[in-house]
Amino acid sequence: MASEVVEIEGHIIDSLILAKVMDVILGAGADYRVLDVEIGKSNVDTSRARIEVIADTEDALASLLVELQVHGANRAHMGEAELVGADADGVLPPGFYATTNLPTRVRLGGRWLEVENPEMDCALVVRSVDRAAPSRESAAEDGPGWRVRTVPMHRVRAGDLVVVGSDGVRVEAPERPRGATPFEFMTSEVSSEKPKGLLVYDVSRRIRRAKAAGGRVLAVCGPAVIHTGAGPDVARLVREGWVDVLFAGNGFATHDVEANVMGTSLGVSVREGVLAEGGHSNHLRVINEVRRYGSIAAAVDAGYIDGGVMYECVRRGVPFVLGGSVRDDGPLPDVYTDVVEAADAMRYLLQGVTVALMLASTLHAIATGNLLPSGVETYCVDINQAVVTKLADRGSHQALGIVTDVGLFARELSADLGQAP
Amino acid sequence: MAVEPLGWGRRLLMCPPEHFDVLYEINSWMHREVRVDPDAARAQWDGLVTVLKEVGAEVELMASVPGLPDLVFTANAGIVNGAQFIPARFRHPERQGETPYDVAWFTQHGSSVDYLPEGVSHEGAGDALPFGDVLVSGYRFRSDAASHAYLSRLTGAAVRSVELADERLYHLDLTFCPLDRRRAMVAPMGWDAYGRRVIEALVPEALVLEDDDALAFCANSVVVGTTVVMPSCPPRVGRRLEAWGFEVAVAPVPEFLKAGGGCRCLTLALDVTLGPCPPSGA
Repeated sequence: MASEVVEIEGHIIDSLILAKVMDVILGAGADYRVLDVEIGKSNVDTSRARIEVIADTEDALASLLVELQVHGANRAHMGEAELVGADADGVLPPGFYATTNLPTRVRLGGRWLEVENPEMDCALVVRSVDRAAPSRESAAEDGPGWRVRTVPMHRVRAGDLVVVGSDGVRVEAPERPRGATPFEFMTSEVSSEKPKGLLVYDVSRRIRRAKAAGGRVLAVCGPAVIHTGAGPDVARLVREGWVDVLFAGNGFATHDVEANVMGTSLGVSVREGVLAEGGHSNHLRVINEVRRYGSIAAAVDAGYIDGGVMYECVRRGVPFVLGGSVRDDGPLPDVYTDVVEAADAMRYLLQGVTVALMLASTLHAIATGNLLPSGVETYCVDINQAVVTKLADRGSHQALGIVTDVGLFARELSADLGQAP
Repeated sequence: MAVEPLGWGRRLLMCPPEHFDVLYEINSWMHREVRVDPDAARAQWDGLVTVLKEVGAEVELMASVPGLPDLVFTANAGIVNGAQFIPARFRHPERQGETPYDVAWFTQHGSSVDYLPEGVSHEGAGDALPFGDVLVSGYRFRSDAASHAYLSRLTGAAVRSVELADERLYHLDLTFCPLDRRRAMVAPMGWDAYGRRVIEALVPEALVLEDDDALAFCANSVVVGTTVVMPSCPPRVGRRLEAWGFEVAVAPVPEFLKAGGGCRCLTLALDVTLGPCPPSGA
């Protein structure tokens, strides 16, 4: 879907131009939404309308806009983006444009440049393709030779050209699926009533399709994945190649290792569900041993860890980011204790991700949601409906929730996906 | 109903065809291999001036300029609104050189000049004719619809936009000829469906031209009081005009038809006042 707001002014009511413009849009197989109309009070006053034109493709939109221009309907925002150099490392110029996670374009040198990596709550930085010394003048003159990326505040460097204000910035409205889309089954966004088997089947179909299209699948896991006994199922998904990137925290990785080394998760026997003797310190001992090896990978190589999600990640070379928190025990040596570094590591690994599975994780799911472009299909599986709602409230509107026990979900998903793609 | 003559059309600006020729092709009538006979052109133009003066028009002249063959078509110079002149913004570079001469003439004759913004095209009275309380303006081939809002803002007139649909009738004044306060000659073949409805709602009594009449430039006539000066007049049209109380004078201009222009194109009314009209009869 591509859309553009056009403005039309004149005696457009009496001249039937407004009606004609709407006809032209519909005749081209596109759609429109009238944003506002000001009708002149007297015969002499002109009227003005703003209309959002929605076409299937950018090309269709472009040719429709040319046709509309004949009738006096022009793009509402033709202005160029304003660029201001950052005056210090890690500090954005006042009035910087704050991003959404939606597809975004920036107008420079008379052309719309696509923002390469949409991410919410960042700034837009314009850089030369050939990394020549940037200057505001050359960026404006030579739009096609420039690229626009989102950059988090701490990564901006003095002199970076930052987009200021909202002129010349176009954000594409979230695509509303029409008709029979893969999302149709979950149009209620958070579904607890629908048959889980059907939901799982649809998610697995989406994953197959994404993998077939060369996309990558991200799993974000909370400790409940291990507590509920879903560890082996998620491990199988990794082993069979269905998961390409893993994000989690110290807790998940610790309990995954604990479950495989000691047979408990937070001291509770994963098999019997009863508190093992002395089990409350099991996770500390596991962390301590992994710290002795120096890393999870070293502990796997040494044979200390012989199964589980982290083991499969190491074996298969699936990259993972473990983000730390102030409540962490240990932590494991692989845990990023600098949250800014953790977020940067996650950003790096998100390239090419087209499907995200948030499995029983509140904090890491939200953290990941903040980094994801809106186009990534996100499934949030949690027994707690509030997690799903919270994710959407924070701007990850693409997240579709499945309220269910993650143990059941992971088992059915891994059974349905089965062998390697 | 008796003729209620238009309040304009008795003072006309014209430009002698000393440098008139077909040197380029910017409409479907122009063919460079069909050259103009300068003597014939001059004779036809003189004939038109004579007829116009005979029927009561006052003719003002501007000098012709070498290299600007279409300067003779003064209708396209711009929009006249009392002492205000809004020069055309020609679509084709071939004609853009005319504007400084048009502006100079109007400045010398005491007009104040207001400009349409750059980037929109509008070809003057060729694409804008007053009717009733509004200014009817054509768009598509030579003028942009976007220019109409500016035109309205600059003149204070309500502008009724009509999309032209036939490339051969590339200016409004080839499709529409106001005759008096209630009547007009109209060539619906030149408009899209919306434009037809706009004119239908606007003109109480229309003389609808057949396609052949329209393509013979019947609508490109000059109305001086109760006289219609036409490049040609099919009997059916003449009878209707006379039944309404008009007199018809034919001033053939075939040399100018080679460039896509008729009688109206060769004149620009200088006595037009736009804007919210006083109540009729005032």
